[in-house]
Amino acid sequence: MLYSIVPNEDIWSEDSVDYNFHEVMIDGFMVQVEPIDGASGRVVRVISTDPQAYLNPTFQPGSLVPLGSNRS
Amino acid sequence: MAAMPTMPNQPGPPPQPSQPGQEQTSMQAIRHFGQMSLPDESNLFHVLPIIGQVEGHLILPPRNKTTKYEHVIPQLVAIEQNPKIKGLLIVLNTVGGDIEAGLAIAEMIKTMSKPTVSLVLGGGHSIGIPIAVAADYSFIAETATMTIHPIRLTGMVIGVPQTYDYLDKMQDRIIRFIVDNSRVSEAQLREMMFRTGELVRDVGTVLIGEEAVNCGLINEIGGLGAAIARLKMFIENPGFSKQRRFPYQPASMPNYPPNYRQMPQSFGGYQPGGGY
Repeated sequence: MLYSIVPNEDIWSEDSVDYNFHEVMIDGFMVQVEPIDGASGRVVRVISTDPQAYLNPTFQPGSLVPLGSNRS
Repeated sequence: MAAMPTMPNQPGPPPQPSQPGQEQTSMQAIRHFGQMSLPDESNLFHVLPIIGQVEGHLILPPRNKTTKYEHVIPQLVAIEQNPKIKGLLIVLNTVGGDIEAGLAIAEMIKTMSKPTVSLVLGGGHSIGIPIAVAADYSFIAETATMTIHPIRLTGMVIGVPQTYDYLDKMQDRIIRFIVDNSRVSEAQLREMMFRTGELVRDVGTVLIGEEAVNCGLINEIGGLGAAIARLKMFIENPGFSKQRRFPYQPASMPNYPPNYRQMPQSFGGYQPGGGY
C-alpha cells in the first residue's frame, strides 16, 4: 500500500525504456551498475551510507568498473 | 553475495588483467587511489539518503527512482553495530511510498541507540514525514516542503465497510507515529491531513519550511552545517539526544537557542567559517 504524492497511475505506468541495473559489491561497497558487456559495467549510483564512498573516484557515476566473480 | 574482487591494503592485480595497455594502468591507479587509508574521523557520521519512492513489498516500475527497504534496513543494522560510527544523518527528498517499508525504516531510526538527525531537503512528503520525525532532531531547509494528505486505496477495492475500517487503521498507524515522535498534536495533524482548502489534487496540506517548524512537526529550520553541528553536539553529550524523544519538551530540558550559530561552544557549536 502506497502513501505518496505521486499519482498511482504515474507510479505504475510502464516505461518503454527497460533499465538493466545490477547491484554489485566492490571493495565492500554496494554499487548499482549497468552492465556494458560481460566484463565491465557503468556505475549508476552508490548504495552506501558511508559518505566517503561517494568521494571514491572508482564509484563516480559513469565510470567503468570491472565485473567479475563479484556479480551478485 | 560473492567474494570481493580485492581486499583493502592488498595491492595485488586488478580482477580483470586481460585488458592491456593504458586502460589497465589508469584503472589500477584509480583502484589504488580508492583504497588509500582514510583518517578515522571519516567514519564518524554516516548518511542515509531517502530519495524518490520508498520501495517495500512491491518492486516499482524502473522509471521510479526508489530507496529500497532491503538496502536501507541492513545498513541501519550495520551502523548500529559498528563502533566507529557515532551518528547518522538522514537526508530526505522523497515523494512517499510504501507504508510498511516507510514505517519500518522510521521505527529502525527511532530505536537506534546512536544519535540521529534528519534533514528535509526539497521534499519530505507522505511517508517521508514519519521518517523525518523518527530522528532525534529534525531540520528542514527553508525551501523544502512536506505534504500531509490522507492515504488512498486504488485498484480493486471490495466495497464493504470493513475496507474503510482498514483504511482508517492504516492511517492511524501513521498519525500515531508522527504524534508520538514530534510536537504536533493529533488534532492538528488530522486537521492538516483532511483540510479541503488547499488544492493538492484532493485534500491535504503543503507545509513549506518554517510552517513545518511552526506546527511542531520539525524541530528547526536549517541546512547541512546545522545538522552536522547538532549531531556533533549529541555525540559530545551522550544521552542527550534520546531525551528529545518526547511529544513535548519537558520543563527540565534546557532550552537551546534555535539558531545553531548561537550554540554554546561546549556543545561543539558551529563556528561560521571556522569548522568545528
